[in-house]
Amino acid sequence: MRLATYRALLVWQLQQAAQYRVQALLWMLFSIIRPIIFLAAWAAVATTQGGSVGGFSVGDFTTYFVCLTLVTHLTMAWNSHEFEFEIRQGRLSPKLLRPLHPLHYSIVENAVFKLTTIVPLSLVLLGVVLTFGARFDTQPYHLVLFVPSIILAAALAFVFTWVIATLAFWVTRMRTANTLFMRASFIFAGQIAPIALVPGWLQALSYALPFWYMLGAPTEILRGSTSLEASLLIIAAQAVWLAIAWVGFTFAWRAGLRQYSAVGA
Amino acid sequence: MHSVGRYLRIFGSFVSTEFQFELEYRTNFFMGIFEMLLVIGTSLGAVLVIFSHTGSLNGWSLPQMVALTGVYYLVQGLTNIVFAPSFERLMEHVRQGTLDFTLLKPASAQFLVSTRHLSLVRIVDLLMGVGVMAAGLVMLGNAVSPASLLVFLVTLVAGTACVYALLLTLVTFSFWFVRIENLLAIFWAFTDAGRFPIDVYPGWLRLTLATVVPIGIAVTVPAEAISGRLSLETLGLMLAGTVLSVGFSSWFWRRGLRSYTGASA
Amino acid sequence: MTAPVVHVRGLTKIYRVHERATGLGATFRSLVKRTYKDVPAVSEIDFGIASGEVVGFLGPNGAGKTTTLKMLSGLLFPTSGEASVLGHVPWRREDRFLRRMTLLMGNRTQLVWDIPAADSFLVLKQIYDIGDAQYRETLDELTELLELGPLLHKPVRQLSLGERMKVEFAAGLLHRPEVVFLDEPTLGLDVSMQARIRTFIRELNRRSGGTILLTSHYMDDIVALCRRVIVIHHGRILYDGGLADLAERMAPYKLVGATLRDGALGRDLSAYGDVVSSENGVVRLRVPRAEAAERTARLVRDLESGLADLSVEDPPIEEVIDRVFSGEQVTDHPSSPELAEATR
Repeated sequence: MRLATYRALLVWQLQQAAQYRVQALLWMLFSIIRPIIFLAAWAAVATTQGGSVGGFSVGDFTTYFVCLTLVTHLTMAWNSHEFEFEIRQGRLSPKLLRPLHPLHYSIVENAVFKLTTIVPLSLVLLGVVLTFGARFDTQPYHLVLFVPSIILAAALAFVFTWVIATLAFWVTRMRTANTLFMRASFIFAGQIAPIALVPGWLQALSYALPFWYMLGAPTEILRGSTSLEASLLIIAAQAVWLAIAWVGFTFAWRAGLRQYSAVGA
Repeated sequence: MHSVGRYLRIFGSFVSTEFQFELEYRTNFFMGIFEMLLVIGTSLGAVLVIFSHTGSLNGWSLPQMVALTGVYYLVQGLTNIVFAPSFERLMEHVRQGTLDFTLLKPASAQFLVSTRHLSLVRIVDLLMGVGVMAAGLVMLGNAVSPASLLVFLVTLVAGTACVYALLLTLVTFSFWFVRIENLLAIFWAFTDAGRFPIDVYPGWLRLTLATVVPIGIAVTVPAEAISGRLSLETLGLMLAGTVLSVGFSSWFWRRGLRSYTGASA
Repeated sequence: MTAPVVHVRGLTKIYRVHERATGLGATFRSLVKRTYKDVPAVSEIDFGIASGEVVGFLGPNGAGKTTTLKMLSGLLFPTSGEASVLGHVPWRREDRFLRRMTLLMGNRTQLVWDIPAADSFLVLKQIYDIGDAQYRETLDELTELLELGPLLHKPVRQLSLGERMKVEFAAGLLHRPEVVFLDEPTLGLDVSMQARIRTFIRELNRRSGGTILLTSHYMDDIVALCRRVIVIHHGRILYDGGLADLAERMAPYKLVGATLRDGALGRDLSAYGDVVSSENGVVRLRVPRAEAAERTARLVRDLESGLADLSVEDPPIEEVIDRVFSGEQVTDHPSSPELAEATR
């Protein structure tokens, strides 16, 4: 992979991004809405209970969900929706004929989206933080470890959704797979509540499955709720899951291509 | 000429053709059921997680929240059976010029564009919503009086009418700005907020969910009605709001149509 | 003399288009102040069509044919002028009017893609309130005329373009309209399907006695179906009358083709008429109609054995039309006061 090729792809994608400014901002909006909704619910519960629930004050909840929003945004990946669409539109075949793995297009597209929307998003979140007085326990090591953690989380989400996307080689109805993934993420990844507030058995499952490592885990690191050891363990687990996902992807992609060329691309 | 019977017959023919079409795709039907079970199940899971820490969410007990969750999916089901699919297709029709065919028919254009395309499989969503709502009521223990059932039905229809009015207004914009998918997307993003009673949200969001994006009142008010928490004031406001919004959207639609057909302002 | 089925007077449609120059500066300026340009699509047209006529609207793209048809079918409000179809003002879109007319647009379908046409027909049956017996009868007739048979029960997206057009026609005629507007009905179809559609339209007019107004930029459609043609260009009517008359008036000449034998090659024939082309031993001459017989006789006599073959033809109708469009005056046109304008 030549650096020059990547740069060319980047420029090309940036130009396209200029056209889809509004759509990009909308997608940004989506990643904000659900955390706000759950923040409101938890804040209501906390207020009724005299200011805190399970050790979390309204400020703590604000911190959590603000961090969650940022992490959600930085780990967003829409491959499992887009790929099926591309196949149906006949856009995959031309890509396969070029000496560039289709994965690269999607990496660049993903990166450009996040690059172009991170600034407005951060401003909005900053506003929220200041207005509602979010409480951060973040230490310097948290910030340092957050960098590899978020990168691994984004990569994990990216590859994982690509594995799901390859299902499109065999299945016409991707909706079910997508719903499965999104709902699993909803339950296990920490969209409902910080993991400490979740019942024991659900916590255990969340630690065991890859979903929390895409979303909740880097969030906890960012807001400073994890010890140094815990943070390092998280990063290790993310790396392991990423490796698993990558292996899964290479197999799925190869098998899928075979299937695709068998039925006539 | 414009008898209710005739319009019912026209609607009946839409249902009949859609039914035959969907029957061919039985897998879709069963997959749809599975997906809905997933979605509702995980949503209820989220409610349970919250209620593992409290007995009430802003004054709503668990049974009442379960009932509200049911109403949430009921309303979504209703909207997605009839007008949501039609409105999505309307934008295509405007773009491709096939809206003209609708205008050539001796029947109300508003009726035709609102009901032309159905998605009958969503009846499953509706039924599941009813089931969940019933479960919540059973948990509540009190028998549901005929009066509250009646009020529930009235507020359900009114709430759905409000959502219809908003969607019709948004879709009417496609007469002037051909690409309004973004507007609709914003709407759909906000509907996530209907999963909680709107009194949970901060003032500005509550107002938005009661007026601009009426999913809030479309869910909260009927839920209040069926669990016996509805105040006369809320009922009155809602009915007034329904009349106003439906009236406005119909007028706006007619304006849009006049603009489309080149009638000078 | 019965009242005309279609009556148009001073019908005008001017589109207001937002005009924007390119460039960043212009874009910003347009945010603050928008400039509009009035684009006349149809200007002051008058005509009348009697019951049972098949009239062709001929004109290049952008001439105003579709705009006129949209106004007559009620889809568009005119800027000024009046029109009445079957006694109704079309753009009021009264129910009674909509039930008695139909508009079919080439390359556009009102049928739902994923379901068989028969299902869409049933929906139309309800919308137009067609009784069971009449529906059956009409459907049988259309099936026979258009050879629909197996096409009705396949999803529309599985039909070829030609088959889709046939089914589309049937859909538009289920309610037995008295007036049929056809907008470019053979657009995009292959030659044999075009011919079949033309045959169908002719048969339709013959059986139902309905009035048909069709627009096209294919000459063949017009020649095959219409005795009367209205030529429209830049939104104005350049000609309204018989097709044959048009040829005579617009192109009052004949084309003479003389094939020369070796010995006579290179002879200058410009004395007999305007030489249009001369290649491979075939010389084409344009000869005024009135003198065609005399000049041809002279040519034969003068060339004697130097002439291998001779042909005398009417100018191709396309050439006639081209001349109309390029603004050459149509002589003796009864109602064209400002044709000079048309040459703009």
